[in-house]
Amino acid sequence: MYRRALTSLLRATLRLDVAINRVYPTDLNPLYYTGGLANLFLFVLVVSGIFIFFYYVPSLAGAHESIRYLTEQVPYGGLIRGIHRYAADAFIIAALLHLFRNWFTDRYLFSRDSPWISGMFLLFFGGVVGVTGYILVWDVRGLTILGIFNDLLTSIPLMGQFLADLLTGGHGLSEGTLPRILLLHVGPASLLYFLLWWHYVRLRHPKVWPPATWVMVCLGLVTLASALLPAVSSTPAEPGVRPAAIPLDVFFLLPFWLAGYVPALAVVLLVAALIAVGYVIPYIARETPQEMGPRHAGVAQVIDGNCTGCELCYYDCPYNAIVMVASPYPGLSRAAASRKLLAVVLDSRCVECGICIGACPFEALELPGMLESEITQRAAAAVQA
Amino acid sequence: MSTTPKVVGLVCDWAVGTAEIADAAGRLRAHPSVTIIRVPCSGFIRPAWLEDTLKAGADGVFVVGCPYGDCLNREGNYLMRERVDQLQRRLARRKIPAERLGMIAYGLHDVDAFLADVAAFLKRLEALGPPAPPGRPARPARAASQPVQTEEGA
Repeated sequence: MYRRALTSLLRATLRLDVAINRVYPTDLNPLYYTGGLANLFLFVLVVSGIFIFFYYVPSLAGAHESIRYLTEQVPYGGLIRGIHRYAADAFIIAALLHLFRNWFTDRYLFSRDSPWISGMFLLFFGGVVGVTGYILVWDVRGLTILGIFNDLLTSIPLMGQFLADLLTGGHGLSEGTLPRILLLHVGPASLLYFLLWWHYVRLRHPKVWPPATWVMVCLGLVTLASALLPAVSSTPAEPGVRPAAIPLDVFFLLPFWLAGYVPALAVVLLVAALIAVGYVIPYIARETPQEMGPRHAGVAQVIDGNCTGCELCYYDCPYNAIVMVASPYPGLSRAAASRKLLAVVLDSRCVECGICIGACPFEALELPGMLESEITQRAAAAVQA
Repeated sequence: MSTTPKVVGLVCDWAVGTAEIADAAGRLRAHPSVTIIRVPCSGFIRPAWLEDTLKAGADGVFVVGCPYGDCLNREGNYLMRERVDQLQRRLARRKIPAERLGMIAYGLHDVDAFLADVAAFLKRLEALGPPAPPGRPARPARAASQPVQTEEGA
């Protein structure tokens, strides 16, 4: 049933693409750049975050005041704070669109599991950054979120209290708390860039940036949102006071909102289960080789004697699965006799698409399950018939 | 030459689904003179195969990939479009009309639009008339197991 649902979602996604392509030129279809859009918003977040960092004071008494100063006294400070706020939501929206799109279009299976797994890490740490960002404002909402965070961690059996103490820096609030939260905001945010390297390392020409038009539109949108609906703090945090309501931010605070209705341990288990499901998605309900048909043609093989070391397959492979090594011996064919390089296919990266076969003018690559002779014979038979 | 042009179509397995519109041998039910060969990705197709098929006497060859902007293998359809463009220029130099080679891009669901495009392609081929008899270029036919492509020097 899961597989049938995915097939219909694939068709729906393609239908949506074609519908959008009727409105926009193909190159500007925003759904083709969901990953690039997320990266764009992450960049906006980093730049505006560095600006805010210069003004932020991570102390119990000074945090709220420093944010107020930034918002009201610093030129454009309120605007930049709002941009930081709305770009975060936009980042999560773009990242989730990216996740669902690649899920529905089967781009996470077999050798392509590595970007999926790194993407799950990116999403998780993106969420952590968002939550700690809410706490750093240090208004009543921030304090409430920190309290719920504390409760959630404490509910974990055995190590709960230890984790909660790690979060706040000892039992309860202290002057060590906000620097820790700040570290938990900036640290995972920096970690995202390491994870992005992992995310991109198997892609030959990753689309890391959306077209200029969309960059302008997105920058305009977050600026406009920030100007029309300025991000504001509520009253300063006072330990002991816990308001009943926290903002329902579906992108970051859903588990915290849920904690108001179900026991803390249930929320923790739910989040853990969701994360676990995210990590196993590439490995469940895979198609069998029979169902895959032509798409399961085996890892591309280099015909050593014919390879001239021209690097065309290396440039065209979309998954960086082909590397050029110094040729240990000359090739057999005339064109390959004086080669300097030899193509080598990395099995673990090959997705069996065969793009290298189309790139090779020297008949030096073959898919074991679909040989060139088979294609040419079938084509010849069709012409003769 | 019959009035129905003989056409070979190489279809990406991620693009148009042909299970319902073709028989077991890959002939389209709507146009029995069109034979479909399914391949893992449009980028898998080596342009030499298309050229050889045309020279062997096919009226036309076409390649089907995913809609542009998106390829389930990231770049296959763009790479193939460039290769088809190159091959069309090469064909024109060889006095073979470039219209005999088509590049079509439709997604899994777009069977009707695909069939309409195939019909238009066949119509263009009919207007061109029959192809030159195979083997007309004054070169010996290539042996099937010849290891290296000697023409054009890549």
